[in-house]
Amino acid sequence: MALRRPFLPAFAGHAMTFLTTTLSRAAQGVAAALMAAMFLTFVLQITVRYSARLPGLAEHLPALDPSLYGWTLEFCLLLWVWLVFWGNAFVVREQDHVRFDILYLAVSPRLRRWFAIAAGLAIAIGLLASIGPTWEKFHILRLKKTATLAPLLGDWIRMRDIYAVYVVFLGAVGLRYAWGVWRAFRHGVSDQGPTA
Amino acid sequence: MSMAFLACLVVLFWLSALGAPIAYAILIGSFAYLAVDGQGIGIAGKVMMDGMYASFILLAVPLFIVAANIMNAGTISDRLLGFCVALVGRFRGGLGHVNIVCSLIFSGMSGSAVADAAGIGKIIIGMMTKSGQYPRGYAAAITAASATIGPVIPPSIPMVLYALISNTSIGYLFLGGIVPGLLMGAVLMIMNAWIAHRRGFALESPVPLTELPARTVKAFPALLMPALLLYGIYGGVTTPTEAAAVAAFYALLLSVLVYRALTLRALVQILVESARSSAAVGLVIGGALILNYVVASENIPALVAQSLVGLDVSATQFLLGVMVVLLLLGCVLDATTIILVIIPLFLPACRDLGIDLVHFGVIAVINCMIGLITPPYGILLFVINAVTRIPLSEMIGEIWPFLAILVLALLVLVVTPDVVLWLPRLFGYAG
Repeated sequence: MALRRPFLPAFAGHAMTFLTTTLSRAAQGVAAALMAAMFLTFVLQITVRYSARLPGLAEHLPALDPSLYGWTLEFCLLLWVWLVFWGNAFVVREQDHVRFDILYLAVSPRLRRWFAIAAGLAIAIGLLASIGPTWEKFHILRLKKTATLAPLLGDWIRMRDIYAVYVVFLGAVGLRYAWGVWRAFRHGVSDQGPTA
Repeated sequence: MSMAFLACLVVLFWLSALGAPIAYAILIGSFAYLAVDGQGIGIAGKVMMDGMYASFILLAVPLFIVAANIMNAGTISDRLLGFCVALVGRFRGGLGHVNIVCSLIFSGMSGSAVADAAGIGKIIIGMMTKSGQYPRGYAAAITAASATIGPVIPPSIPMVLYALISNTSIGYLFLGGIVPGLLMGAVLMIMNAWIAHRRGFALESPVPLTELPARTVKAFPALLMPALLLYGIYGGVTTPTEAAAVAAFYALLLSVLVYRALTLRALVQILVESARSSAAVGLVIGGALILNYVVASENIPALVAQSLVGLDVSATQFLLGVMVVLLLLGCVLDATTIILVIIPLFLPACRDLGIDLVHFGVIAVINCMIGLITPPYGILLFVINAVTRIPLSEMIGEIWPFLAILVLALLVLVVTPDVVLWLPRLFGYAG
């Protein structure tokens, strides 16, 4: 296939690259922050539980009163769920996934491209098609309050706000695979997989 | 088997064979099931989110990943290595022994075999091949074999996953892994000594014994970690999940304050890398939760149990059969998938046959870990290949004796539940 000249002027191409690197850095920063927050919340939870046993500490340091920290457990679960779906939407690369690639690597590059296109299409269509039905299933959760998170995050938070990250994941990964299919169709694939 | 379930399997295997990530193959496969079954594909997201939001125990997974990454990035691994060289480096096949002892100690700190192989394993392979005493395939093979001990001795990510699907106590599972892990280390050392004598590997110049105390002092804070973790869990100070956080915190304190080997920039990089691998594992876990929902609505585990009762097999025969199945599956699937997707199928049968679920869990995890080094699809072989560039074919040529002796050790553990359950019972396990 002949290489076509890009239809964007060079500076726009640079701006695009700059934009994607910045966005990807930002996404990584968010993932790192989620991870750090989970870690620190655990440390806080253990500290609070043991400081409560020390006599007299509660009077001197009212900030360490265990009754103020009922939210730590659920907050960690929230961070974990967000870490998984935010991470897979924006930070995890194709080569980070566990893949059964014996066949993929054994076939000719020509066939490999069709492998990538078929798998990518199935994933893109499946994920994007499930956005609507999933959001419908989550509809009822707009009413459901969290068990313990209101003191930390405010009274507005509902379970649907927490689960929404899954819908973001469906959209982002669906689009990425669609883009990967298009690229595989136009330019072929590397041996790292369709969206690498 | 219903049409819907058939559709699920076809899509799952077809996508996996095309080289799609296993997690997405599972996800799309369950969409196919739900669509054909008329339940609506929106349920998948609900089941997955509900499952993940309810499983507190899973939080141990990302925390153990962070802990292992911090230990590898700081100089904790190097110090342990220095200690082990002084301890067992003087014997024939010395660095092979060092490799195994290091893995034993490191496995008491990390819960992941891949972290063992990629971190401390890489350094050790460098030492073994630098002087030319060991063929590089041998160095890689023994590293891969000893890394399988990592998740058998607590803490252990695969055991956390098993506890999730089987509802067994994670504390007793961890205890159950200690003796088998030590046994695996022992048989590997015997094999290494035997091969070193037969092939006449040269002796290393021994580290003088007078240096041992100094090296012990240097490594002492790191050596303290396994003890701290075990005390935390069994002294009732922390839950096993919290122990993962304590491990990460302790490793961080050591690296930053005591050893001064970690910059802020490196720490951020560790967090990003940990987030990346936790998210990838998390998605497989999520996929497995949906797949388990599918399998449960099809009533597959009960069917497996029923057909086995019809066959009239004994508990030992059943375990041996499962072991063969898992070893074969280990050739083509990764451990997380096997534990989360395949093992639940056998659990009702285990209950019917009166097999202790802690015993079953421990041998199933060992089984899956051996699967990590069985060619052609062995994650540990791939990881070592990726970090050292030693060709897979050389590794595979050297792995067979270690594989054989590990399988033998596994066999012994299958037929003697008392060896596995001795420690848990000592701590009050009723099974």
